[in-house]
Amino acid sequence: MAMAVVIKDLEWKYEHTTQFALRGVNLEIPENTFLGLVGANEQGKTTLINCIKGLIPHSFNGVYRGSVEVFGQVVKDTTSLHLAREVGLVFADPEAQFTAMTVEEELVFGLENVGYDIRKIRARLEWAAEVTLIGDLLDKSPYDISGGQKQRVAIACVLAMDPRIVIMDEPTSMIDPLGKQFIFDILRKLKEAGDRTIIVVEHNIEQLAPLADQLALMRAGQILKVAPPDEFFADPDFLVEQGVYSPEVTLFTGWLRRQGRFPASAPLPRDLAGGVAAARAALDMGGRA
Amino acid sequence: MTTTVETAPAGVRAPKMRKTLLGYIPIASPFYAYHPVTRLAMYIFFGVVPIFIDLPEINFVLLLIMLGLLRWGKVDLGRLRIYLPLIVSVAIFMFTMVLIFPGRDPSYTPVTIGPATLYYQPVFFTFASYWRLMAMLFGTILYFSTNRERDTLVALRAVRLPFIASYVIGLSIRSAGMFMEDFRTIREAEQARGLDTGAMKFSDQVKLYMMYLIPLFSIALRRADEISNALFARGYTLTGRVEGGGQRSDYILTQYRMQLKDWVWIVIFGVLFVAAAVAQYGFGAFRLIHSPLNLYLRSLLGIG
Amino acid sequence: MSTLIEVSHLDYVYPDGTPAVFDVNLTIDKSEFIAFIGQNGSGKTTLSKCLNGLLKPTSGSVIVEGIDTRSRGVIKQLVTKVGYVFQNPDHQLFNDSVEKEIAYGPRNIGLPEAEVMARVREAAAVAGVGPDHFATHPFFLTKGLRQRVAIASILALKPHTIVVDEPTTGQDMPQSIEVMNFLQRLWKEEGHTIIIITHEMSIVARYAQRVVVLGQGRVLLDRATREAFAQPDVLKQTFVEPPQITRLGQVLNPHLPRDVLTVEEMQARFEAARKK
Repeated sequence: MAMAVVIKDLEWKYEHTTQFALRGVNLEIPENTFLGLVGANEQGKTTLINCIKGLIPHSFNGVYRGSVEVFGQVVKDTTSLHLAREVGLVFADPEAQFTAMTVEEELVFGLENVGYDIRKIRARLEWAAEVTLIGDLLDKSPYDISGGQKQRVAIACVLAMDPRIVIMDEPTSMIDPLGKQFIFDILRKLKEAGDRTIIVVEHNIEQLAPLADQLALMRAGQILKVAPPDEFFADPDFLVEQGVYSPEVTLFTGWLRRQGRFPASAPLPRDLAGGVAAARAALDMGGRA
Repeated sequence: MTTTVETAPAGVRAPKMRKTLLGYIPIASPFYAYHPVTRLAMYIFFGVVPIFIDLPEINFVLLLIMLGLLRWGKVDLGRLRIYLPLIVSVAIFMFTMVLIFPGRDPSYTPVTIGPATLYYQPVFFTFASYWRLMAMLFGTILYFSTNRERDTLVALRAVRLPFIASYVIGLSIRSAGMFMEDFRTIREAEQARGLDTGAMKFSDQVKLYMMYLIPLFSIALRRADEISNALFARGYTLTGRVEGGGQRSDYILTQYRMQLKDWVWIVIFGVLFVAAAVAQYGFGAFRLIHSPLNLYLRSLLGIG
Repeated sequence: MSTLIEVSHLDYVYPDGTPAVFDVNLTIDKSEFIAFIGQNGSGKTTLSKCLNGLLKPTSGSVIVEGIDTRSRGVIKQLVTKVGYVFQNPDHQLFNDSVEKEIAYGPRNIGLPEAEVMARVREAAAVAGVGPDHFATHPFFLTKGLRQRVAIASILALKPHTIVVDEPTTGQDMPQSIEVMNFLQRLWKEEGHTIIIITHEMSIVARYAQRVVVLGQGRVLLDRATREAFAQPDVLKQTFVEPPQITRLGQVLNPHLPRDVLTVEEMQARFEAARKK
């Protein structure tokens, strides 16, 4: 399978700091898969995605060792304009990503930067607005829309540029529950379309787990574990030690398994439906009346 | 599972005005049928022509025309109430100044009202100046009540302002907006710690404003970092250069079309503007000696 | 008398005409741990700002330990009764040293200097701000420390009630637990009433004893946490869902209980459910 991102022995230290933020990261992300990046705060997750996006080393000074390749191109040696076409990045703060006067202008900005003509801009704009359900917000100014809506605009801006890799850094951490739902729906749609590589950093494991093909755990600038969700959640206590809390149904079913009420060979559920099935089976197994 | 949005709950009025950085504009207005450049031309006309006109009668009529235009433009006149303090304090300030410092000139005619002695000429001059200022102020109010930030930027780009200048102006406007929202939150936070501005001495209030700078700058600095990262992520380079070199499309500008009525009005404004300038500086048509009110008052006072 | 705050028929309409809160009636007593939940725009922030006089009722009343918030000139008294910690610590830190920051509130209300310094030391200790940070400019502290300085500066006013806006947003689980445990200690050991405004239901389930659910400006539910989460249909009106483990019980009800709050509780009650 083709690799979208290949990271080899990546080390990075921000200038004016004493510790390395990344200490030898090795990671391969296959094309068109969904990777969830988790871990406690300040462990290197944002730094890592900045390296994939190219913000490091282009916007930051420091010590860079190792390599990051995106579709075979070395990120260190690629221009920001070119990277913008390949890799899209959505940040946590919806306010800081909205710099234009209206939603429409915001969407069009990146498209003008990469030199598209009017017709193509219109086509990309319409498609991105449809995927993110912001069609009726196009004329609005930042004062008229909520944080959740601004974040969807940010996602639309990124999608409009049609990057093959979409990265989101804690996209829902500053958003209300309804807004969160909208955003995870968009992620679901993108995953189902299956034509993009998606990397999401999130603390909301409950919503992330059902979507991820793989989950990667970061601690102290290194990746401790990369695995598909079944394997990833197999040892919830280890995860808790690293500051990562599995979804409640996963924890509960793990307990059921320890009680012998859930088969050791079956994968642990990662969403409510799976949890319901597991609990139902466990109730039946006990000979419920 | 898809999420659906529900319509506004019952009892919530649909808004008629929308907020911009400097005020409120109507959601729908006949003004929007005109290209932003035309509206900018109107602003230049109403904002600058009063400078040529000394006559308070004409400036007053201009003011009435502008109020009529605001009404026609579906601007909610009630919202203009926020300008009342400004209008009143400017009036008080100007008239107080002329009463205390009338200046000395033997041609001035003294007028005694009770214990005070006014000098007619400087007072009338101030009166005329006041109406000129008001006309210019309303020109600005009219413009900012019928144009959003985007319209101004589009108008500037249509007259060939470089993209980067337009972008920087836009970014500044947006930052100013964020600044003001942060400012409001900070005031609330201070109030939550017992700050009672009503009970403060003026000098303390001034010190207070200096204190706001600290959190405002912290927030602005942190945000500037995030904004520059976000810009990087959109492929923006400081020069506004486009990948592959070549002309940058201006999608937003193409959304607006100049029509016949736009050209007609631009020509009208242009001609009237030039005519007014020529009439005043070439022929003195708008000087105070031609003012009917002035002539009337002078005849009352027995001045020639 | 153990009632601290009495809210009667409170209405609040913003100056630009947006209605925010309708006919809210609430009583808040000593030593409660309450969560205000509801979708953005439901009025929870507006309501909480009415509790310390930041916003004055358009109609109805809010009486805080005997003081009517509509009266003039009561701000200095109200802030010693109800403290408000804003979501972003950067909005609240405007002095150039941690010590001055914590001292700001007490100085504002006119306490003698010796008392101010004593309160600074005490509040800092409770909030976990070490004296070695006292001379530091808040801008250079980590986010966690800034939040603690913000809390300390409210504690220095010794309010009986403390409102915390989004204590866990943007934090990872260990940090969230640390903050919540701290608030829990303030409640259990120091006897404060804590009101949190939050979207994180598993936090609410674990820490709050009472939940006020707001939707479109009205109180939809005002109950013990367990009872509130047992009514998912009402919660849905304001786009709130009970924690995942609670929903598990609700889907499999009656075989599983519908008001479970934590995984540990589900484990404990599962055996009983199975034996039936």
